[in-house]
Amino acid sequence: MTRRDDGDVTILTLSGRLMGGPDTEQFLKAMREVIDAKRTRVILDMGDVAWVNSSGLGALIAGWTLLQEKGGSLKLIRVSRRIEQILAVTKLDTVFELHPDEASARAGFGG
Amino acid sequence: MVDTPDAEVVRLVIPSRLELLSIIDKVVDGVAEQMGFEEDDKDAVAISVIEAGTNAIQHGHGHESERMVEIIFRLLPDELVIEVMDNGRGFNLDVLEDATAPENLLKERGRGIFIMRSMMDDVHFEFTDSGTRCRLVKRRRPLEVDVTGSPAPLDDTI
Repeated sequence: MTRRDDGDVTILTLSGRLMGGPDTEQFLKAMREVIDAKRTRVILDMGDVAWVNSSGLGALIAGWTLLQEKGGSLKLIRVSRRIEQILAVTKLDTVFELHPDEASARAGFGG
Repeated sequence: MVDTPDAEVVRLVIPSRLELLSIIDKVVDGVAEQMGFEEDDKDAVAISVIEAGTNAIQHGHGHESERMVEIIFRLLPDELVIEVMDNGRGFNLDVLEDATAPENLLKERGRGIFIMRSMMDDVHFEFTDSGTRCRLVKRRRPLEVDVTGSPAPLDDTI
């Protein structure tokens, strides 16, 4: 996982999988660090994530909730068709804001 | 379950480590190709078997990696039957809630079985003294036929 702060937006780039193991703990640790740094606009780049299971979905919700509690916002970009299918069936596509790319997600934050 | 004579059987045994579940993806690729499944069905099978495996590792075996999860794929003429087995104590199916209900939407747990049931044609759990058996079924989609009973062309262009 990599983190890049660009202006008031933080981009977390995930890779591999989000399946309830060390990957998930690493993601939540990164989210807490971002929030501790009082950064509230976060883009999650999922382009290199091959798999998310229900535990990984739980971690995404935990991260989303942490940010919401601080008045922040989390946007997902480059989500694979398969992960989009899981989000749709669980109706989590009504919770997470999905964008095709970083520019689109940035625009979604507004001024 | 007794193997039927016309079933091709693929068996996979993995230690209880979540990172090994990605192996299932590779196996499903091959099995789905044999079954002639389309991409959506292939994804549905892979997602569901991985959820069943996650359940087995997390709830059945409590992440004890030396305990093995067995996965059996039975390729039948009309359907793919998958069994995911652990030797854990099982769980109570009666307490499962609708994961998409507004009051549950932001819960961090409780989606695995819901996902399986949404994506497969049949999902059945059997709890015995020796463990839990999750049986998943994906049927082949019938060919679309026109009114004369002939298979429909693949597209509209002739």
